[in-house]
Amino acid sequence: MTDVTSTGVATADIAAVRPGVKRIVGVDFDLGALRSAGPRYWGFVAFLGVFIAMGVIAFLLLTQRWGAVVAMRDTYPWGLWFINYMYFVGLSAGGLAVYASVHLFGAEQFRPLARFAVLQAGVLVMCALMGIASEIPGPMARPERMLQFFTRPNITSPFVYTGSAATIYFFICFFDLWVMITGKGGHKLAFRMTLIALPFAIYLHTTTAFVLALNKARELWHSAVMIPIFLTSATASGIALLIIFAYIVQATTKTRFKPSMFRSLSTLLATVMIIDLFLLVVEIITIYWKTSAMPGHVIRFNAFFFGNYAWAFVPVLVLGFTAFGILARQKTRHIPAVQLTAAGLYVFAVFLKRYSLDAMGFVRTTLGQVSGNYWPSLVEVLLAVGILAFGILFITLAVKVLPLEEPETEEGHDMAHMELPTAPSLEAR
Amino acid sequence: MSSNEERRFGELEQLPEVKLSDEAATCGPSLSRRRFLGGIAGAAAVTAAGVVPALLTATAMAPASEVAAKMPSGTFEAEPAAAHFASIDQPVNYPGKPVWYADPPGDQKFAMVIDVGACIGCRRCVYACIKENNIGRTSGFGYIEVHEMELGTWELETSDIFYQKGGRPDRWYLPVQCMHCAKPSCVYGCPVQATWKEPDGIVVVDYEKCICCKNCLVTCPYGARHVNWIYPEVPVDEINPKVPLKQKYGVVEKCTFCVQRTRNGKTTACVEACPVGARKFGDLNDPKSDVSVLLQTKTVIRLKEELGNEPMIWYVG
Repeated sequence: MTDVTSTGVATADIAAVRPGVKRIVGVDFDLGALRSAGPRYWGFVAFLGVFIAMGVIAFLLLTQRWGAVVAMRDTYPWGLWFINYMYFVGLSAGGLAVYASVHLFGAEQFRPLARFAVLQAGVLVMCALMGIASEIPGPMARPERMLQFFTRPNITSPFVYTGSAATIYFFICFFDLWVMITGKGGHKLAFRMTLIALPFAIYLHTTTAFVLALNKARELWHSAVMIPIFLTSATASGIALLIIFAYIVQATTKTRFKPSMFRSLSTLLATVMIIDLFLLVVEIITIYWKTSAMPGHVIRFNAFFFGNYAWAFVPVLVLGFTAFGILARQKTRHIPAVQLTAAGLYVFAVFLKRYSLDAMGFVRTTLGQVSGNYWPSLVEVLLAVGILAFGILFITLAVKVLPLEEPETEEGHDMAHMELPTAPSLEAR
Repeated sequence: MSSNEERRFGELEQLPEVKLSDEAATCGPSLSRRRFLGGIAGAAAVTAAGVVPALLTATAMAPASEVAAKMPSGTFEAEPAAAHFASIDQPVNYPGKPVWYADPPGDQKFAMVIDVGACIGCRRCVYACIKENNIGRTSGFGYIEVHEMELGTWELETSDIFYQKGGRPDRWYLPVQCMHCAKPSCVYGCPVQATWKEPDGIVVVDYEKCICCKNCLVTCPYGARHVNWIYPEVPVDEINPKVPLKQKYGVVEKCTFCVQRTRNGKTTACVEACPVGARKFGDLNDPKSDVSVLLQTKTVIRLKEELGNEPMIWYVG
């Protein structure tokens, strides 16, 4: 049977002409590419395998000795797994933002990245879900209890919304990728999928922020600005990671992207970055200003400027403004090293920001006692690294075997322009 | 409405409708109308979806007007304080039958009053509670936390919970435990309804439903909930058979107002252990109970009253 993709290319013909290509659910898996992969590729896979194995050992230890091998306690109940949950679902947003801008706003310069962006989003949300599933002891000893999320959900708990959103979003991402690769449903379905995926991405990050913000018991979380901060951090770090991902793809495969695409992404990144930093600064001003400063807030936030979490929070501002400063100069924004440096700084800064945000809720107990430092235990770190390595392995294999490069045919572009005749496009120089 | 007001509102109604000129309407980014409307619809959907949890949480709280209507008016005909608080202390997420380790609730509304002026910080209540409720001896927590503060200060941030010996004349002591709030944020926060408020006001945890997401720990303003990070170790000869033990590993536990005692006509272990009678436990539905009389006759306060959780433990001093 021959399928015709949106670009008019008969995919069955491709399968027919290329040896080693196997079609599964309409997707051509280029398994031959794996066989011809060099020792460096397999060396990297083995390298990831070591971390995955350590993650599995950490998970087994966790199931057996839970409290004895984690650093979390009553005063700090959500540790690295929750930090990573916030971080990963955030990072996945950027991918979706770029992908959606192709379909919704006609940002054609981002089209070559669309499949990579959706893959990145899907894998990151998968890592986030793996983190939850492995860290909450319920699933370990009593997996059936997790079914209560479906059988007796409590509609007043923000957890219900973020958990279900992440699960649905995971399926949306991979279905979306399937639609793009197979071309089933054509541009119409791809456009409709965007209409579903983008609101879900925003919904996911909004509800994740609500898990923190809807807590009157935790002074520093209980702020409405937490929601836009989550959205901007997510978008900025996601775009930054996508820039890094695209450069890695370019360096390790035959896929090439236009410099104008990187420049447009960098401009978008700089814009979101400064909004993100602005929101953080106004929150800090609100906490410290003489007419609004509350002792409970000030004493908690002091730990992030002068106390035991200054190591995590101060770099958020320093790295953030530095990254923005690097990208702000138009004359140098096109330089790959500049783009990569700024993107790398911001991806790291947002991780520290998530770490700090988590700590802001727990730096003191709800009754004001100092909680002490939270440093994740070795088991927690190995588990997190194992999950991350699994995600990277997934992407490494996917980039090799999946047709992620957008086929550039005249027809494809024509169709896009027919769909979006007047849509404004982002800067492309 | 006065004539002046009528005139003012009349003027407002007569304000001309502002219409954009064709030129103004067409300036800006050249988005097609269909796409623009689509974007607006999308944004509205996202906003609506995002605020659903907040709205649902808000609707779970009783309207302010409803609460205000039940507040004592300050006149002699006013509803007694105990009766008022008993009326707002309603079940929350109650599944219709009592938690499996407790007897059926009666028609009481349990509450407590603690006299901080009398409390000497001896922690006998803490130890009695640990023993009564099968709390792991190495678990690192108790249901009651006693804060030592300097006389003349009320600063939880600088209070000491690790003080060596109570009874210092220059200090005062504030015991804190689960407040069995009428508006329990922990119950609202549990994603799987593994914790609820029973008809007699006791907030319970079903250890066989808890998934240990710890969201209740996060939402509780009183730090009253605790996780059994390790298996709760209790000497065999000290195990209370009326209280679960092994089911508590890997889940959240908290004060139950000694449900195994209080539903059988006894008082709580902490009340029984207090050497100075600083703790009073009783039924708000009974106007002659200690708590009802104290609420009616003494100046009382509640911890973090401003949060609106309506805690069912009052302090007097």
